Amino acid sequence: MNAEAKQPSPVRPESEPTSAATTVPMWLIAGLLGLLFLGAWYFDARGGWFEAKVYAPYLSLADVQRFQPRTGGPEDVILRGKVLFEQNCALCHNPDGLGKPAQAPPLAGSEWVLAAGVNRLIRIPQLGLSGPIEVKGQVWNLPMAAMGVAYSDDDLAAVLSYIRNAWGNKASIVAGEQVKKVRAELGGRNQPYSPDELKKEAE
Amino acid sequence: MTAIPPTSPLPIDNSCRLPLFTLFGGAAVWLALSSGFGLIATLKFHAPAMFANCASLSYGRAFPAWSHLLVYGFCLPAGLGVGLWLLARLGRVELAQPWLIAVGAKLWHLGVLVGLIGILAGQSTGFEWFELPRAAAVILFLAFLLITMWGFVTYTRRTQASLYPSQWFVLAALLWFPWIFSTATLLLQIFPVRGLVQASVAWWFSGNLINVWLTLAGLASTFYVLPKLTGRPLQSHYLALFAFWTLMLFGTWTGIPAHAALPAWMPTLSGAARVLMLIPALTVGASVILTCRGVKTPCAGGPLCYTKFGAACLVLASVLLAISACPQVSRITDYTWFDHGQNTLRIYGFFAMTMFGAIYHIVPHLVGPDRVCPRWMRINFWFVMPGTLLLALPLVLGGVAQGLKLVDASVPFVAVAKSTLMALRISTLGETMLALGNLIFLFNIVGAIVSYYCSVGKAAYTEATALEPARVKA
Repeated sequence: MNAEAKQPSPVRPESEPTSAATTVPMWLIAGLLGLLFLGAWYFDARGGWFEAKVYAPYLSLADVQRFQPRTGGPEDVILRGKVLFEQNCALCHNPDGLGKPAQAPPLAGSEWVLAAGVNRLIRIPQLGLSGPIEVKGQVWNLPMAAMGVAYSDDDLAAVLSYIRNAWGNKASIVAGEQVKKVRAELGGRNQPYSPDELKKEAE
Repeated sequence: MTAIPPTSPLPIDNSCRLPLFTLFGGAAVWLALSSGFGLIATLKFHAPAMFANCASLSYGRAFPAWSHLLVYGFCLPAGLGVGLWLLARLGRVELAQPWLIAVGAKLWHLGVLVGLIGILAGQSTGFEWFELPRAAAVILFLAFLLITMWGFVTYTRRTQASLYPSQWFVLAALLWFPWIFSTATLLLQIFPVRGLVQASVAWWFSGNLINVWLTLAGLASTFYVLPKLTGRPLQSHYLALFAFWTLMLFGTWTGIPAHAALPAWMPTLSGAARVLMLIPALTVGASVILTCRGVKTPCAGGPLCYTKFGAACLVLASVLLAISACPQVSRITDYTWFDHGQNTLRIYGFFAMTMFGAIYHIVPHLVGPDRVCPRWMRINFWFVMPGTLLLALPLVLGGVAQGLKLVDASVPFVAVAKSTLMALRISTLGETMLALGNLIFLFNIVGAIVSYYCSVGKAAYTEATALEPARVKA
């Protein structure tokens, strides 16, 4: 016969189920504690302790910061400058700093880049340049836009530090304060420099 | 835990009849319809050109229609109906306001229909397990409140003061759904949050819906049907309590997949919670084994069979969930068919089977014992049981194979996609068996309801047209 036929008819009194009072077996409690321990260990190892900046595969905030660009010594400044240069400047001046024939002058070995002072150099990306300019004995004539105007003081200083120290160039690091000072001197000026005008500024 | 004297359940059954007919009948219709959409979706893998001119039946709409009808059309009303029955039966009290509950159930089915039309018209939200458009979500929420309110009134009017474990699970489920559903509706549909937060809300909701709500509602039935049919006390009160608290404590964290693009603490915590979900699952397994041990009650494709199979599927699905939380495994199984197979095993294998068992136990009480044919109930079992396994297990295994190929950079993506076809073929077979089984379920339930009302009508007709010998005598 089937189970259905054995069920009591609904009109007869019917008893509802009861529950026994047997306790929870020890192995379940031990299993719960064991898995809780494992879970806590797993979270401690990989969870980054609720830090919103930590995403897999990084395991902790320290781990994330290890891979961030540092802002300490001159190497870090140059590294930051390299990133910015390759994003914005390398299109014309080339990643190897040799420029584009008949268009953009080289930066590697350029007397403008390697000048002892950076007073003139800062003004070029800040306002742009127009008119013929002589670099390494060759005359170039393509206007440059004010590529650096949107950079922060520190970023512009980093780019200039990079071009002064890359591809065999060797010159001093540019500080953010120097950029700030030049920008203050320029005031509201927004017209590009010509090379002749630039030569009138102190080096 | 003490023996309680038997009571006559007749008035309780009478009060439950109308709302439960509405909930179960609608659920059976939606389930059969959902299988239809499931079949269309799965056949698309083998015949992509089928219905190619009909946008509403494209895979991107048929598949959400399947999951929408399965969860909101079948699972929620079935779970609610069984829950209300348990509250009335275990509280030894008539259901409060059966008419209003029936109205709420009708409103719920209207919401499901609006959602279905929205999805087929292309208005799906795109969140898995929460595809229904805003209007449908609001209707469903109001309908749930209407039903759940009278559930609580029934609970407070109970004449049996001490609580049985099933009652905790039902009450928790009645509170859980409004909480998660209102949160998801508010944060995803009414005042949508931005960016990745949407994904985390959607994952949190679907994890709570499938891993917590369905388990709460399903276990309420498991813990009632097993002792009821075996005639033994539930083993035990404390095991049920243990499962209850660990399920709610860990289940609510489980939604976020291991490789979600979210801050590392979210998937990590979710993974730990998925492993901890083993504890309630093993507790349920232990409880079922201890309760059924040495019992001679024949299973015979009846409610007991369905419920035992459901509990086994819950344990299996939870083991799969825990395994897939380990980082070495999840890097292979995440975003493959594995997750879908695991969810299918949980929704069909555990929840739907448990609900079939409970409904086949309850409906004879409502319509009279001879109106549900035991043979068709057995045939139904032998369609849905293998159908579930054939649907879910190939997806689980195929998902692992798919994941192993996906992490191998030398295998082209098209080759990976083609290699899943064998698993999909078997799961299409399973889906077909399930669709037939669900049709049999619809036929059984609607048949029982119709035959009940026919007999009521016939009795009323006989009474109205009969001569009145009693009055003549007087």
